[in-house]
Amino acid sequence: MTRYLLRRLFLMGFVFLALSLLAFSLGYLFPGDVVQNVSGLRPIDDNQRQQLISYYQLDQNILQQYLAFLGRITQGDWGLSFSSQQPLLHEIKLLLPATLELAAYALLLSFIIGIPLGILAAFKPDNIIGKSISALAMVGYSLPIFWWGLLLIMFFSLALGWLPSAGRIGVLYEIPHSSGFMLYDILQADINYRNEALHNALQHLFLPTIVLATFPTTVMIRFVRDAMLNVWEQNYIKTARAKGLNRGQVLYRHGLRNALLPVIRQIGLQFSTLITLAMLTEVIFSWPGIGRWLIDSIYQRNYPAIQAGLLVISTMVITINMLTEILHAFFNPLARRG
Amino acid sequence: MSKFRLYLEENNRSPVKQLWREFRRQHSAMTGLVLFISFFAISLLAPFITPHDPYLQVDELLLLPPSWSAAGLVQYPFGTDDLGRDLLSRMIKGTSYTFGFALITVAGALVMGLILGALAGMSKGVKSSVFNHILDLALTIPSLLLAIIIVAIIGPGLMNTTWAIMLALLPQFVHGIRNAIDEELKQDYVVAYRLDGANDWHVLSRLILPNIWEKLTIMATMAISTAILDIAALGFLGFGAQAPLSEWGAMISDSLDLIYLAPSSVAIPGLLIFTAVLSVNLVGDGLKTAILKRRQS
Repeated sequence: MTRYLLRRLFLMGFVFLALSLLAFSLGYLFPGDVVQNVSGLRPIDDNQRQQLISYYQLDQNILQQYLAFLGRITQGDWGLSFSSQQPLLHEIKLLLPATLELAAYALLLSFIIGIPLGILAAFKPDNIIGKSISALAMVGYSLPIFWWGLLLIMFFSLALGWLPSAGRIGVLYEIPHSSGFMLYDILQADINYRNEALHNALQHLFLPTIVLATFPTTVMIRFVRDAMLNVWEQNYIKTARAKGLNRGQVLYRHGLRNALLPVIRQIGLQFSTLITLAMLTEVIFSWPGIGRWLIDSIYQRNYPAIQAGLLVISTMVITINMLTEILHAFFNPLARRG
Repeated sequence: MSKFRLYLEENNRSPVKQLWREFRRQHSAMTGLVLFISFFAISLLAPFITPHDPYLQVDELLLLPPSWSAAGLVQYPFGTDDLGRDLLSRMIKGTSYTFGFALITVAGALVMGLILGALAGMSKGVKSSVFNHILDLALTIPSLLLAIIIVAIIGPGLMNTTWAIMLALLPQFVHGIRNAIDEELKQDYVVAYRLDGANDWHVLSRLILPNIWEKLTIMATMAISTAILDIAALGFLGFGAQAPLSEWGAMISDSLDLIYLAPSSVAIPGLLIFTAVLSVNLVGDGLKTAILKRRQS
C-alpha cells in the first residue's frame, strides 16, 4: 500500500507539473498582448507596462517566467478579470460553492437511484422490469442534456408554472453570505423567514439537480448492472449457491461486495463528467456557478479568467480522481498492482 | 463455454457472418441500425433532398406554425423560423453538420489513435510508461471540457470544433487501442509467429489488427455518440457552427428566444439529436452483445 501511495503521489506531482505548464503557456497561446493576458489589467499605459513587465519578470528567460508564475499562483495572485477588473481568485471563491453544491446533490441522487435500479435490472435481466430499466437507462444515456433541461423548463416552468426556471433563490429573500452553499447558509442564518427561504431554494434546486443527475444515473445503472451480471457468472457465486446459501445471502455476502467495489472508482469518473455537464446546466438555468462564468469568459475573450477557470476545474477534477483511486485501492488489494 | 449440440454440424461461417447472425437477432439493435443508415443517407444526400433552400428567407412566411396546427401549410411540414426559412430543410441540412461531421471526427480520431496506439503498444519500457501517464492525465479530463478549452484557444467555428473534438477524443482511442494491442501481444500465436521470424510490422498487420477490429468498432460507435453530443453542445453554446449554418445544437439556441411562441422549433431539433445518439448507442450495444455471444458459441 505504501509503495502504491508513493507511486500515486509521484504521478500526481507529475500531473500537476504538466497542468501548471499548460496553464502557464496559455498566457502566450491566447491571442493578444501577453502583458494584458498575464495581468488582466487593461488598458495599460507605457509607464505601467514597464512596471508590470518587471513585476511579472517578462524580460527574463522563459524558465524564470515560469517560476515567477508558480510563485504567484501559490501566493494567490491570479491576476485580474478583463471584464470586472476584480481579482480572479476572489471571484472564483464566490462562484465555486454554487457549482459544487449542484454537482454534489446530483452525484448523490445518481447513486441513490442508480445503484438499486442497476441491481434490480441485473437480478432478472430478461423479465419485464429488467428490460424496462435497461431501456430507460438507454434513453437517459442518449438525451442531450441541454435539450432535456429546456424540455423540463418548457413543461414545469412555462406550461404548469410549478417551478422557477432560473437562479438559486428568489430575489425576495436576502440570505447573508457565509459559506456560499445555499442550503447551509439558510440554515445558519439568523432570519425569521428561514422556512420560506428553504422551500424557495429547494424549488430552485429541483430542476437543475434532476437534469444534471440524469446522465450519471443512467451510467450508474448500466455500470452496476454489467458489474452484477459479471460477478454473477463467477465461480465463487456458484460455490456459494452449491453450499446451500439462498439467493439473498449470496447477493449480500458475495455479489454486492464484489460488484459494488468498482463503484467507488466511478465517483471520481462521474465527478469530472458532472463538472462538464454542470457548465451546460448552469447556462440553461442561469445558475451563478463557475461553469457559466467560464462560458461567459470565453464569449468575452476574458483570457485571464479562462486560464484561472481551467486551472481550478482541472485541479479539482484530478484531485478527486486521485483520491477515489486511492480509496478504491485501499478497499481492493487487487487494484494496487500495475 | 461450449454448449451441448444435438446435431454435430460444421460451423465454418466467417466471423463477420457469425456476427451479423447474432446482431440480426436483436430487434433493438436492428432498429438502431436502420435509423443509423437513414441518418447517414440523409447526411450524404442533404443538398439534393431539401424541399426548399435552407437559407432562403421568405418574408411573407415568418414563424409559420407546423403543418399539424390549423394555421400551418402543408408545403412547410415543420413550419418556418423567425426569418422565414423552412425548418424541415434546415433540419435535413443540419444532419450533415451534426451527424456527418461527427462521423468525420471519429474517423479522424480513429486513424490518429490507431497510429499513436500502435506506436505506444509496440514499444516497451520507460518511453511507454511516460506516455501512459500522460494519457491517464488526458483521460481524466472529460472530452467536452477539453474541446471547450481547445475552442477557447483556436476560436469558434464548425471546422475548429471538429478539430477540437478530434483531439479531445484521441486520448481514449489511444488508450483503448494500446490496451487491446497489449492483450494481443500476450497470446501464444503471436510468440509462435515471432519465432517464425516475423517482425513488428508483420505481427501488427497480420495478427493484431484483424483480432482487434471488433474492439475498434465498439470504441468507434461509442465515440460517435459522444461526438454528436459534443458537436451539438458546442453549437448550442455558440462555440461551434456559426449563425447561418443549421447545425442542430445551434438551431436550438437560435430558437431559444422564441420558446414561448414556437416551442416546436426547440423540441424538434433536440428530438433529432436524441434519435441520432440513440440509434448509435443501440447499434453499439447490439454489437457488444453480438460479439460476446459469438465468442461464447
